[in-house]
Amino acid sequence: MNDPASLGRLVAHLALLSSISFGGVPTVLPDIHAYVVANGWLTDRDFADFLAVSQAIPGPNMILMMSFIGWKVAGLPGALASAGATFTPPCALYFVAYRLWDRFRDAPWQKLARAGLAPLTAGLVIAGGTVMARTADIGWPAVGVTGAAAILLLFTRLNPLWVLGGAGICGALGIL
Amino acid sequence: MAEPRASPPRVALGVLFYEFLKVSLLASGGGIVWAHRIAVDQRRWLSDAEFTDIVSMCQFMPGPNVVGIAVCVGARLRGLLGAIAATAGFVLIPGIIGFLLGVLCFRHTGVPLFQNVLTGISAAASGMMIATGLRLLRAYRQRPPALLFAALAFAGIAIVQLPLLLVLLVLAPLSIGAVAIAGGQVR
Repeated sequence: MNDPASLGRLVAHLALLSSISFGGVPTVLPDIHAYVVANGWLTDRDFADFLAVSQAIPGPNMILMMSFIGWKVAGLPGALASAGATFTPPCALYFVAYRLWDRFRDAPWQKLARAGLAPLTAGLVIAGGTVMARTADIGWPAVGVTGAAAILLLFTRLNPLWVLGGAGICGALGIL
Repeated sequence: MAEPRASPPRVALGVLFYEFLKVSLLASGGGIVWAHRIAVDQRRWLSDAEFTDIVSMCQFMPGPNVVGIAVCVGARLRGLLGAIAATAGFVLIPGIIGFLLGVLCFRHTGVPLFQNVLTGISAAASGMMIATGLRLLRAYRQRPPALLFAALAFAGIAIVQLPLLLVLLVLAPLSIGAVAIAGGQVR
């Protein structure tokens, strides 16, 4: 689908969501998923594929993910616009915030805000992973892989690339 | 009052670009680990405490958090230009390589073998995301209210499927309020 009006709406939506993606882009993935599927731009399968490929490729995963969505909606211009919409507003915010943060780094409000928001952030990231697992886990073996990956990352110092690679091999062998 | 701190070492913009390019390419799944390794252990641009401070700020800012680390480390070392150089290093070249690789991959998504590999990878990737969230929560395990708010945020999105903005607007003031009331117990 190559449609400038759709691209405009997608870019505006991504810019908005990336500006409120507290806890990182994964926290708004469920919302982006709902939006692009409801608009008929992507299927569930497309979304899961894009996510898997953007996770597997080294680099800025979530920016890649959005560029794939933009590419699907409007080709190369779509990819560039979506990537830009995903990282430009947060980068500007980060810069301004860092300046302020640094100036007031010992202020009491800063400690309060940090302590209050951090648990929410953690809950949102876990929710993002759960929503993603719901589209990816098509059977109990896949649920097992999700659980094993979580445990390996939590309790070992294994390079995550090995975990992703191993899971890909399990998939290739048709176990999942 | 802010304690005095050493002024940062003078770092060339090209070095910032290059080092964050490296973080980006190495960091599939664990950007913070590599950013710490390079900025603190190898280059000694920042102390551990300064790095932790940047990460805590990035954690509750919107956006791709690891990009935020690039922006902040760049800003600390060389101001606006430093932030741009580090971000460009993180995003530009890895983004182009990754996009081309991805488009190549999608040509073959119809192939059953490839489809199966992707299923495996996304199953693992979602588990890794859950683990990262749990890891962030670990620092708060002694604080039941924090765990409660984490659980509410999780349930709001993953179970009730409410919009993120609504969840945040309701829970953030409550959670910060709870910390303010708990007062001295925190840290």
